[in-house]
Amino acid sequence: MTKNNEILKRMTLGTEYLKRLDQSGYTLVDMNMIEPFSLDDKNHHPTSIVFERDSTIYAIRSDWTRTLLNFNNNYFSDDRKFGYFGPVVREETSFYQAGAEIYHANEADIIESIISHINFVHENSNKRINTFVINNDQLIDLFVDQYGLSEEIRPLIYSKNISDLRDELGENHDLYKILSARVSTQFELIDELFKSTDIMKLINEIRKELAKVNDNIKFILDLSFRSPQRYYNGLYFQAFLNTNSPVLSGGQYNSSAFGLGLNISDGGLL
Amino acid sequence: MITVALSKGRLFDDFIKYIEGQGLKKYSEVLRGESRTLFTLVDDVRFIFAKGPDVPVYVERGAADIGIVGSDILDEEDFEYLNVSGLPFGRCHFALAGPPNIDHFNTVASKYINIARKYFNQEQEAVSLIHLNGSVELAPILGLADGIVDIVQTGNTLKDNGLIEYKKITEVQARLIANKQTFYTKEEEIYKFISEIGVIA
Repeated sequence: MTKNNEILKRMTLGTEYLKRLDQSGYTLVDMNMIEPFSLDDKNHHPTSIVFERDSTIYAIRSDWTRTLLNFNNNYFSDDRKFGYFGPVVREETSFYQAGAEIYHANEADIIESIISHINFVHENSNKRINTFVINNDQLIDLFVDQYGLSEEIRPLIYSKNISDLRDELGENHDLYKILSARVSTQFELIDELFKSTDIMKLINEIRKELAKVNDNIKFILDLSFRSPQRYYNGLYFQAFLNTNSPVLSGGQYNSSAFGLGLNISDGGLL
Repeated sequence: MITVALSKGRLFDDFIKYIEGQGLKKYSEVLRGESRTLFTLVDDVRFIFAKGPDVPVYVERGAADIGIVGSDILDEEDFEYLNVSGLPFGRCHFALAGPPNIDHFNTVASKYINIARKYFNQEQEAVSLIHLNGSVELAPILGLADGIVDIVQTGNTLKDNGLIEYKKITEVQARLIANKQTFYTKEEEIYKFISEIGVIA
């Protein structure tokens, strides 16, 4: 694709995406790229460019999720669903982000938003999403509680450190067996243990709805799977077309918010 | 096809011996024949030959799906990858070393400045650190530093330069790392390879 076509396609996709959100009742937002910043947020947004002017700390927008949270906190908007398409800057790189945020999201909101985003991808691509990876950090809490594990086990799970987990837990431990199994078989193993929990009920529901959209989709639940954005603290997912970068990603944060991002750069849509 | 980034040098030789021990002649025979090429293909596995510190960069960015690299490099810099497994070769350790009869280290030279900093922070010792790119044993000899933090394998290099080991800091071994996305999107090929080389049963 020539550069002109690529730029036009990206902008068209962004516009079509905003139109879809508008039709679905989302409030669209477009805001200044320079925003007030609290240094306390630096841990959650380590790639933000932060600077000082007249004794006030500012950042160049690095993540629409944070921008919208600030907006919502400051203006107490009654709206629950927001959509955006615009540039962000991380370290020395700028790129476009398109996505949606839902506050006080219930399970139905989460499932509906994931499926409608997948439908949008399918309508705008001649390829189908073939891999869907999901996890919920709270599943690890369940393992820690049920098996009386020390907190030191968490970094080994996060990094999928199979050899150190074997040394720590032994080959017969359920957690070792799960993490050393192929990632596409983890779902069954975890579901067997925690089927009755709300976490697994939601994951099961998402799996069922995804199968309706594409029954060939590879559904992976992996305890090691985490977002690079540390503010996600519940469910988190990525969906892939045929590239190494996810075309869709999103998850729960701030206890009841749910956000999704559409990758219109290298996710396979261009 | 998957891409496996191999660290050049001693770790590369150890990797070949390791996979020979696993009976994987199809890989070892081809790899032994490599001297100046940048990559080679065996069936559906492409091996690329990289400098150790570049291996996690290739893996993090998805240019390689798997990397074989020393834990010294992984401990020194922060990268995003899955730290899948230790491998039974490339074993050595980081140590604080210096000339005999040093009571307190004021200035220490190291190629591994972050590991050295972390160690002295943990020990709550205020030490000035000097970053060098190699031959760090020269630093105490020339009076640039009164100690070094470096990798020790046999201890012969320290001995040859009149230095002794004061403290073992941490173990080092080869590790298999993997890209955080292709581990899922190329699951079949990746598990086939890591199972072949004995990382998982």
